[in-house]
Amino acid sequence: MSEEVKITERKEISRGAVMLFGFPDVGLVGVIAASHLISELNLSEVAYMDSRLLPPLIVLHEGLPHSPIRVFGNHDVLLAVSETAVSADTIYPIMHALIDWGRSKDVKKMISMSGIPVQDRQDVKQLKVFAAASNPEILKAVKDKGVQVLKEGYMVGPQAIMMQYCAKTDVPAVTLLAQCFFNYPDPEAAAELLKELSKIAEIKVDVSKLLEKGEEIRLRARDVMRRTQREMSKMKKTQEYDIPMYVS
Amino acid sequence: MSTKRKRSIFDIISEYFEDLQERTERFREALIEKPSWNHRACTMEPLRNIMVTPTEVIVTVDLPYAEENTIRVKPISRDTIEILAKMKRKIRFDDFGITHYEGEFETLHCQTRVPVPVYMDKMELRFKKGILEIHLPRKHEYEIPIE
Repeated sequence: MSEEVKITERKEISRGAVMLFGFPDVGLVGVIAASHLISELNLSEVAYMDSRLLPPLIVLHEGLPHSPIRVFGNHDVLLAVSETAVSADTIYPIMHALIDWGRSKDVKKMISMSGIPVQDRQDVKQLKVFAAASNPEILKAVKDKGVQVLKEGYMVGPQAIMMQYCAKTDVPAVTLLAQCFFNYPDPEAAAELLKELSKIAEIKVDVSKLLEKGEEIRLRARDVMRRTQREMSKMKKTQEYDIPMYVS
Repeated sequence: MSTKRKRSIFDIISEYFEDLQERTERFREALIEKPSWNHRACTMEPLRNIMVTPTEVIVTVDLPYAEENTIRVKPISRDTIEILAKMKRKIRFDDFGITHYEGEFETLHCQTRVPVPVYMDKMELRFKKGILEIHLPRKHEYEIPIE
């Protein structure tokens, strides 16, 4: 693990779990999905990140301080989630530290949950969810489960680093990207993502409560979205709209 | 003896622009660094976005809990519009588990500057899935002919 990022365990961590990531990004899809999983699966905090690379902030829950980046889990699932926008300058060491920690726990698969912006999102009737994978075998497994593959394009943000690092270190990894608003919180997209997640991991949750609470989530998530927008702009997130130049 | 490399005019210009960009960024952040709610006015500020196309400017505003028939969009100057919408129910801080502030909010409110000249009187509105779309036809005040 990197010297500058430390992950402290609060509980014994089970081996061979699936590790999920929900970080602030377009539509806050990953964070909203993560939050719903924590509540539906009753996941508890099992580890937290401590680093001087993080902004000088703590998150208070029931009067007690918590790191903005924590890992929740049970016997089968580990879920890394950030409650604050992660800056472009620190995203590499943060993601590398989490992946190295997951590898030390022999996780069987890593799955990043995020969004892919779509223009005129309010007119889209059925949101699509796409997947990309870290190696051809897992890509085939994802296709076989009926998940659409994102064939060509750019990926920017935490999931891009996760994919790159997992490919390099030979960890099976998938990124799920639900079509969503670029800069408005999108609970509906998070619900679609969770439906696809159930196809590639044995994690099934009811999304009806998430959809019912959609307006409340959108109101509550405005500030995180606003700060995430600023970080996305520094990361050149709009590059995901770009048409790639094919280089074989 | 230390030797100091003489800086070229290009280095100086480049540093000047980097410094200017940093200052602008700090100034911009200072301007927008404010709460997204106004306790006195009982308002919450919605998220919004502006897109400029060759023919129109499209402002979108995310209006969760908005009562559709209360949405009002008013031009308040040649280049600024004000958006107001009553919420379906009053929202209190403690609805979000926040107990160190007191107050309730019943209106979504924001002001937005439109970056290019538009016909404010030809504004068209559309509200779908909680998103307000404001379409403003562009005013092309002058054209540079190609010789």
